[in-house]
Amino acid sequence: MLLFKLAFRNIFRQRRRSLLTAMSLTGGYVLSVFSFSMSAGSYNNAIAFFTQDHTGHIQIHKEDYLQRPKIHKYIEAPEDLSAMLDANERIASHTLRVFSPSIAYSDTDNTPAQVIGVDLDRERTTSTLAAKVSEGSYINSEVDGEGYYSAMIGAGIANNLDIGLGDELILISQGADGSIANDIYMVGAIVGDRTSSDRSTVFLPLAAAQEFLSMYGAVHEVSILLNDDGRAREEAEALQNLLPDLSVDPWQVVEATFYQSMQTDKRGNAVFMGIIIFIVFVGVMNTVLMSVLERTREFGVLKAIGSRPAKLAAMITLETILLALISVLLGLLISIPLILWFTYSGFALPEPMDVGGVLMSHITGELSPFVFGAPLLLILGFAIIISIPAGVRAALNSPTEAMRSH
Amino acid sequence: MSVVISTTDVCRFFGDDDETLVKAVDHVSIEIERGEFTAIVGPSGSGKTTLLHLIGGLDNPTSGSVNLSGTNIAAMSGTALSDFRRDHIGFIFQAYNLIPVFSAEENIEYIMLLQGIDAAERKRRVTEILKQVGMEGLADRRPNKLSGGQQQRVAIARAMVSHPEIILADEPTANLDSRTGIALLDLMKELNERHNMTFVFSTHDEKIMKRASRLIHMQDGKIVLDEKK
Repeated sequence: MLLFKLAFRNIFRQRRRSLLTAMSLTGGYVLSVFSFSMSAGSYNNAIAFFTQDHTGHIQIHKEDYLQRPKIHKYIEAPEDLSAMLDANERIASHTLRVFSPSIAYSDTDNTPAQVIGVDLDRERTTSTLAAKVSEGSYINSEVDGEGYYSAMIGAGIANNLDIGLGDELILISQGADGSIANDIYMVGAIVGDRTSSDRSTVFLPLAAAQEFLSMYGAVHEVSILLNDDGRAREEAEALQNLLPDLSVDPWQVVEATFYQSMQTDKRGNAVFMGIIIFIVFVGVMNTVLMSVLERTREFGVLKAIGSRPAKLAAMITLETILLALISVLLGLLISIPLILWFTYSGFALPEPMDVGGVLMSHITGELSPFVFGAPLLLILGFAIIISIPAGVRAALNSPTEAMRSH
Repeated sequence: MSVVISTTDVCRFFGDDDETLVKAVDHVSIEIERGEFTAIVGPSGSGKTTLLHLIGGLDNPTSGSVNLSGTNIAAMSGTALSDFRRDHIGFIFQAYNLIPVFSAEENIEYIMLLQGIDAAERKRRVTEILKQVGMEGLADRRPNKLSGGQQQRVAIARAMVSHPEIILADEPTANLDSRTGIALLDLMKELNERHNMTFVFSTHDEKIMKRASRLIHMQDGKIVLDEKK
């Protein structure tokens, strides 16, 4: 207790210097927390947009469809699979899709288009497709009075073909059985704008697309949303064990390019944060060393009267940790309201940003134990490290030499 | 009377070559018995403080041995030596050397804390020793709120509170006025007689020499005269 008291009082011995050091540590902590929050928040937002836009947390395909998509690599009779996924409590929702490249025609023009057949009801709860409808309304899977299915087209196709709601759209593609697929659809909705990633996509009701592509109830992809988005890898592995004939991949594999660039970016951020914290700690180390140097005589006396060298080193470490803890507590008082605001309000962007057809108007942070805990551990770890040379110096000094200094 | 301090051919040389070599303590062999009130005297640079530091285990001899109560402290490691100093030796310094962030009471208590003495016993001993050195009522004051004489009283209390066998005092009266110095010497003499503690001073203060039961005269690192009164 007396050692604690000694360490505590030594901090307040040079108030101005301790205050400056504490301010530097507090600033470093707040900056680190904010940076961690922004980084985690941005990536979580990006991942949420990505996975909810279309990828989902897990995807199931036939064979190597993900790497080499071919129309004939489809999952036959997915009803049992769908029922199994519906019964899984860890799965929030799933949807079934078919894909095919095609050429879209109007009366006067044509343009390449990606046809995606979607289970309209399931898609509504699994992706943000319904929210991306910019004109018209989310279609249904029924044929109209004239026997046409409705289609939702990307704004790019609408523009290229100069068509709009209620106009006819002709699609030509290749069926899974090798036949030429062609059919006429009525434009029921426009999706996104001309910059959206869906600008060249035609969304059809699943049954219409299966009929168009001669797929007879089969699908190319099952996209799954989990209740816990952090368990994509584990759940994918569990599903893979249940479905050995299919390929089950978490979003990190499906969107490998995005995931790898995110990881690289995170490492870059970590290096950047490390540099900031290193700069802060060079200043702190200087303070700690100065404080030890000017008390050399005192350490000599403490050793002379019987303090063990290790105890002196422990006292210096304790002083540094106490100063770091006080600074982190101050930092917490500042950063908690800051991160609360950042998480629930965030920065308004001057112009809303289109992320996969969804408009993002704010940059927000993340509120989590990691955001506050990681910088705390980092600062305490650094505090211990920088106190080591000072402690070793105090411990190794001969009492006679130490007491000669002034 | 038993011997508590003995040095055998102890040397402490500084410098590496013949030109810079300083023989601060040069083949000194002494024996000091329990309860002696000994003063090591001599001019500045005669080696008396170095010898005191060697006896106290604050410095390592170049050669020779230093035995305290039968233990050769010259062969001890850092931690063992720290523990030995803590349990067997009390130090009084010329510049008092109190811990500035501790009160008088805490300065005295610190060494007992290192010894692992329980709080109640620490409190009892601190109260008793403060009374003995005439510092009752000043227990809560920090060193910067005490006069030189008061600080040295606290230093004496700190040196004695752990009941060491040996008290080593390096010029304890050098920074004090004559009256305060006499008062403190009388106090140390009284404590020496009451507790039969062994006191060894390094000094050139006549007042100490007058009260000492033994005077060891040093010059150029050697003992030139050892007189018992």
